[in-house]
Amino acid sequence: MDERLKAALDFSNYRQTLAIQRKTLKEKIEGKLTYGHSGGIFKIDRTLLAFVQMLIDKGRIENVPLIDQNENPILIPNLQQFLDEILDRYFTATYEYHEEYEKIKSSRTVEKLLNI
Amino acid sequence: MTKGILIFAHNGPEVDYGTMSIIAGGLAKKHLDLPVSLVTDKWTIAWLKESGMYSKAESTFDKIIEIEKPRTKNTRKLHDGFYSQTIPFVNSNRFSVWDLSPYNQTLLIDSDYLIFSDRLNEYWNTDSSVMLGHSMNDITGERSGILDRRVSETGVHMFWATTVMFTKNEESRFFFKLVDFIKDNYRYYADLFRFDPRQYRNDIAFSVAKHIMNGFETEFVYTLPPILTVFDKDMLHEVNGNRLTFLIDKPLNCGDFWAATTTGVDVHIMNKQSIMRNKEKLLELV
Repeated sequence: MDERLKAALDFSNYRQTLAIQRKTLKEKIEGKLTYGHSGGIFKIDRTLLAFVQMLIDKGRIENVPLIDQNENPILIPNLQQFLDEILDRYFTATYEYHEEYEKIKSSRTVEKLLNI
Repeated sequence: MTKGILIFAHNGPEVDYGTMSIIAGGLAKKHLDLPVSLVTDKWTIAWLKESGMYSKAESTFDKIIEIEKPRTKNTRKLHDGFYSQTIPFVNSNRFSVWDLSPYNQTLLIDSDYLIFSDRLNEYWNTDSSVMLGHSMNDITGERSGILDRRVSETGVHMFWATTVMFTKNEESRFFFKLVDFIKDNYRYYADLFRFDPRQYRNDIAFSVAKHIMNGFETEFVYTLPPILTVFDKDMLHEVNGNRLTFLIDKPLNCGDFWAATTTGVDVHIMNKQSIMRNKEKLLELV
């Protein structure tokens, strides 16, 4: 095979493995950012964090209905406890995301990507 | 209220579902920290004993529930990478899970679904009697077709029965009775919902039942997460701790592969032979 084509195909394989690694990492983190509480399922993201913090700042801390990811209203008995939990999960997941993403980004061969 | 996991395993001439269920059950027990029970038959138990795996099964499973092996004419084409063969496929008794499960709340998983996270624990308290895997999620994100998303080109949404979580109540009892009815009248429902009736698929029967129980509406009230899936043309190549390395079949390049790994994510490995080739390493994790 022509060297130029071989190099391009090798790089193509690397890019595909990179894409799959990034996709599975993203899914792993999405799983960690899924939070089941009081019968609802919440996706922990910046919107939820900011909204819950705003409610607490406004003095709404007990028996507050929140809309979960399935658009159902879920009554949260203790909003401060809820915030503490989602904040903790958010940072744990995003730190892990960052750490693993950096490893992926700096791996320049298929072999290195597979060894992360 | 008791919670637990249940796996069905009926060995066929080519696939040792019994041993696979020990791997899947052991991983589920480890990562979800819940008891796991096995529904199986005397032939599979006999093989587990003969192959020296029965003591491992006893230590893995909370209960081993022996039932009659269902008779089947159902077959499936099973790939192992490049190679394929058509084998008998015993899958017609899943509807009986409601009666067989020893738990009030049950997570039913396929024996080729390997759990490496506690993600599914988030769903136990959800306000829903029966939840199915929302969809299939190909590891590359590129290879799923319309028949992975719908029961037919013009049919209803396809849920994946690789994971099913239910609470024992009247609603869930009706649901599984309906799955049984759909199985018994599969050709009629194939006409009605326009799917291919030649092979009985739980995914289809469960999806149709879900659609009917929702009042003939597609409503995603609560579902389990999409099933990360590695196809049977792909191969589990190596197991190194929680890291699984796969050879991923390149579309339109038969016999050529990409490489990929997963770590700490639940994964549905459809190439059962490749699970068995790595069984020693997988059993070390259990």
